[in-house]
Amino acid sequence: MPKIDEWDERREARMSDSATAMRRLVGYARPHLREFLVVVALVLVYIVTQVMQPWLVKIVIDQDLIVRHPHFRAVLTIGLLYLGITIIGLFANFTQNRKLQWMGQRIVRDIRNDLFTHIESLSMRFFDTHETGRLITNVSSDTNQVSQFFTSFLLSLIQDGASVLFVMGAMLLLDWRIALVSFVVIPVIVLISALFRKKLRDNYRYTRTRYSRLIGYTAENLGGMRITQIFHQHDKQMRQHTALNQRYTAGNINEYRWSVLFNRTFSALGNLSVALMMWVGGEAVLHRTIQVGVLYAFISYIQQFFNPINSLTQNWNTLQTSMISAERIGGVLLTEPEVVDPSDPVEIVPADARDPWGVKGEVRFDHVSFGYGPDQEVLHDISFSVPPQAFVGFVGETGAGKSTLMGLLTRFYDIQAGSITIDGIDVRDFRQADLHRLMAIVQQEVNLFSGTVADNIRLFRPDISDAVVREAAQTAGADAFIRALPGGYDAPIRAKGANLSLGQRQLLAFARALALNPKVLILDEATASLDSATEMILQEGLTRIAAGRTTLVIAHRLSTIREADVIYVMDHGRIIERGNHVELMAKGGYYARLVRQSAPTERLHQQA
Amino acid sequence: MSPTELIREFLLKRKWSYALGIGAIGVAEFFQVRIPHILGDFINRLKGGVATEHVILGFALELVIAAAGYVFLFGLGQTRIGRLGRVMEFEMRQTLFGHWQTLSTRYFQQHSVGDLLNHTLNDVTAIRQAMSMGLNQISQALFLFVATLYMTIRTINLRLTLFSLIPILFIPVVIAIIRPQVRTRSRRVQEALSDMSELAEESFQAIRLIKASSNEPIEVERFRRKTQAVVERQMHLVRINTLFQALVPLLSGMGFTVGLVYGGWLVIHGHISLGSFVAFTVYLSMLVQPLMQFGIVINLFQNASASMIRIQVLLAVPPEITDPQEPVTDVSWTGAVTVRNLTFAYPDTEQPILSNLSFTVPAGTTLGIVGRTGAGKTTLLNLMVRDYDPPAGTIMMDGIDIRSMRLSDLRHLIAYVPQDGFLFSTTVGENIAFSQPTVDPEAVEEAAVQAQIWDTICAMPEGIQTEIGERGIMLSGGQRQRTAIARALIKSDARLLILDDSLSAVDTVTETEILRVLKKVRGQKTTIIAAHRLSALRDADHIIVLDHGAIVEQGVHRDLIWQDGLYAALYRIQTGGEVAHA
Repeated sequence: MPKIDEWDERREARMSDSATAMRRLVGYARPHLREFLVVVALVLVYIVTQVMQPWLVKIVIDQDLIVRHPHFRAVLTIGLLYLGITIIGLFANFTQNRKLQWMGQRIVRDIRNDLFTHIESLSMRFFDTHETGRLITNVSSDTNQVSQFFTSFLLSLIQDGASVLFVMGAMLLLDWRIALVSFVVIPVIVLISALFRKKLRDNYRYTRTRYSRLIGYTAENLGGMRITQIFHQHDKQMRQHTALNQRYTAGNINEYRWSVLFNRTFSALGNLSVALMMWVGGEAVLHRTIQVGVLYAFISYIQQFFNPINSLTQNWNTLQTSMISAERIGGVLLTEPEVVDPSDPVEIVPADARDPWGVKGEVRFDHVSFGYGPDQEVLHDISFSVPPQAFVGFVGETGAGKSTLMGLLTRFYDIQAGSITIDGIDVRDFRQADLHRLMAIVQQEVNLFSGTVADNIRLFRPDISDAVVREAAQTAGADAFIRALPGGYDAPIRAKGANLSLGQRQLLAFARALALNPKVLILDEATASLDSATEMILQEGLTRIAAGRTTLVIAHRLSTIREADVIYVMDHGRIIERGNHVELMAKGGYYARLVRQSAPTERLHQQA
Repeated sequence: MSPTELIREFLLKRKWSYALGIGAIGVAEFFQVRIPHILGDFINRLKGGVATEHVILGFALELVIAAAGYVFLFGLGQTRIGRLGRVMEFEMRQTLFGHWQTLSTRYFQQHSVGDLLNHTLNDVTAIRQAMSMGLNQISQALFLFVATLYMTIRTINLRLTLFSLIPILFIPVVIAIIRPQVRTRSRRVQEALSDMSELAEESFQAIRLIKASSNEPIEVERFRRKTQAVVERQMHLVRINTLFQALVPLLSGMGFTVGLVYGGWLVIHGHISLGSFVAFTVYLSMLVQPLMQFGIVINLFQNASASMIRIQVLLAVPPEITDPQEPVTDVSWTGAVTVRNLTFAYPDTEQPILSNLSFTVPAGTTLGIVGRTGAGKTTLLNLMVRDYDPPAGTIMMDGIDIRSMRLSDLRHLIAYVPQDGFLFSTTVGENIAFSQPTVDPEAVEEAAVQAQIWDTICAMPEGIQTEIGERGIMLSGGQRQRTAIARALIKSDARLLILDDSLSAVDTVTETEILRVLKKVRGQKTTIIAAHRLSALRDADHIIVLDHGAIVEQGVHRDLIWQDGLYAALYRIQTGGEVAHA
């Protein structure tokens, strides 16, 4: 029970948050207020010209054509006036459109930049609980939806709203009684377009879902065609494709039918309202209350209700999606980084140019306990100390807590008990940027960025020179393969590093760590996915890059850490054995068992 | 069959349906052009002062009837043609998928999934748009254009029509020129947007690295450049869009001005009636739409014809791996494999991947294949399942060249576990029973138990019914591999089991268990295991060591250690030299 209460409370807190979020997003539009007023003025000019057009024709008919002595000069004048206001109106609309888009684009850009900057500043726990795909949607499409609020919804509200009002005004000026009768169509249009709108939107979503299922299925089958062929399942896969294709086609046809029905209903309604005007207006002409030109104007005006009202209902949907997106973005923007810099950080003073770190690199864990959630401790009372420039290894099964340990040293998370120090200084007393300058991490999964090989080694940092990049690559043993690439260090790296092998990527990651020149180097299962021969090459590079640094290695393959000064064996969040390889083998415990299991044959470990 | 033929056949088969659709649109336009005419007559009567309330109501009703006829028939025709276009789209997707199923592994290695998907995403859609929207619009535009011209010339005035039409006739020209530009520019916007998303993706995925190296400011700067590029390209598009949105109404406004002035002159001089003048203004506004459509339709057909060519090329690709003319059947297969003098280079390459391999795997025994990455292990296994065709007479099953076997027979005999553990996005149970959808649950369970995945499955929220996501994303690498092993083991009547480095992501304890199970079933199956990790080969009866496509060593484990060659070297690396002296 207490859990539910807590949850409700949190949700309430979130609701008020989203109101704040919305206000914050509106803040992005504030600097553009003056521009927006200009846009509104231009919109009004355009609408006035649109409303004037039928009025001018009405003048031609009533004052120049049906009079007893018509004169052409007046017709010509009004004709030119007509062309004039058309051009003015179009120009106003053209300028308005460009200004508005320019404004909207800058608003999205600013929101995107701030959102991205904010996400990058958040702590690791945020990334653990938020999918990357979701975050990308926030940055790319939610921001766009929010800007639609300004460029589409607000504009429509002003343009379409004003348009309906101005037409109503013109009608009232011409003849208020006929005007009141013709206003009957307005609620009818609103009702019909609102009813259809929901149906059309549902249909659209439905078809989109089915379409993406079909495409997803096709994509997957193209990727796994080999498996289908080897298992000889063509017919079965084809049947599923047919079923998905049929469902999509049926949905698509249904969607199309509804949209045709909607459009035809609208055009039927348009003609009905013209007939209504003929009837009501005709009677009025008959009784000499209005002239023929006025009737003409009414017939034109009543048709001008349709598009604006339709667009207003359409934009009501835009508003809803914008609000949802605003809430999502707001949720991210309001998340505060969990790990924050201390108010009074330790200043580390580098001794001289040869020692740019200002620390020796002694790492100490002192009775450290940690859990990702309140009740799930994953590390229990861990203590160890690594002298400067030592090489230590961590082994244990998946889930034993090895990677967590490294995440604590880099202060991706804050610990619940104990302390972690470097040269006796608590990691929480460093500025995060200072702390991270001391370290480099090489992971099993090598992250590559679209850019050149050199960019990937220097991580796009302007302060790392080409010479440093090359030297790092040479030391890591990556120079040879980089030179062999077309373009060498300037060779472009494709997305996901498709043009590099696993081993090459890992060498690149070593070079990257070297270029960063850390005092403490962390290798997290860096060699797990390699074949033995490649690993042997890496092993040599590893020894070179570890020289002069404190190196902590998490290993899947035991061969990687055979030479370590100390090996810590972990199990279920505790260190259960420690010592070097020879000592641990002699002990005949958990480590010795792991070593035996990785041996190739059963016969052999009986002899070992 | 080429797509042109496909479409021709489709049209012929449904020619009456199409005739009905187009016919309905034609008659609909006949009704539509009545409307301004009715209005004109109505105005003339009113102006002449001869109208009565009765007459007025009559005109209003006439207009309602004409409108009803137009709306109903046009809707009918539109729906019919739109539906046919979507049925054609359905058939085209079926044809494409069916064709892809016949193509070989080589084809899929040469073409990225993304490129192939473009056929079903863009090309098929482009053809459907031309065949439904395009056909609808062109029939509407043609009928409406002709009917309107007829009405204006016949009932109003030839010269008035011609003069007013001059500016309006530029509309299709403007559209045909600007629309492709709009498309190009909006594609460039899309590219900039996906560039931006990609950067966000790679940055979020590398967040540990970025944080650990304090690289956030650099990433933000890179991202800013991308968002700026988006703004610039968007404005590039906006510029042409706004121009386009202004030009069309400008041209029609000019036409209208001519109609107003010249029409007024004609009324003043008594050449046409006021009613005709009013009707003419309505006709003019009706003409704008079909003329815009001419421009759009031109583009639609241009796109569709480019798409047709691409699909034509795709459908012309012949299947590479096919059944023999006279397949050998009626053999009781035991699963003995013989490889004789096998040399193989991938098509269009010079360098052989495998050179002069010869070995035999007696039925019911286990062969291990070892070698570095690129030594040719996977190629050899791919030849056995005929992903590629080996040279004739080099790979034999029970003495019979696998190329003389029906593909379905060969693949029925083989249970195969791929390197990447590819799974489909259905339930874990359906993945295991992939080759036997009708098998009973016990068999699935048995296979899962054998592959050491059953306990994992039981721990999943919906057990065997758990959806495992796209390509099995919900599972870890080792779980995927074990599921793929279960998928192979369920083929109980297969005679040859092939594992292509399929235990690499499985931990050593589980590996031991799986090998123990394989040892039990191997009495019934010949087994071939390729592996990096030598521990996976501990039960092999015979091991061949490949290097640069040739067998450099072979024998049982102990012999290979004594030979002190490549195998022994690999062994030392993997054990850290621990037992090299054993």
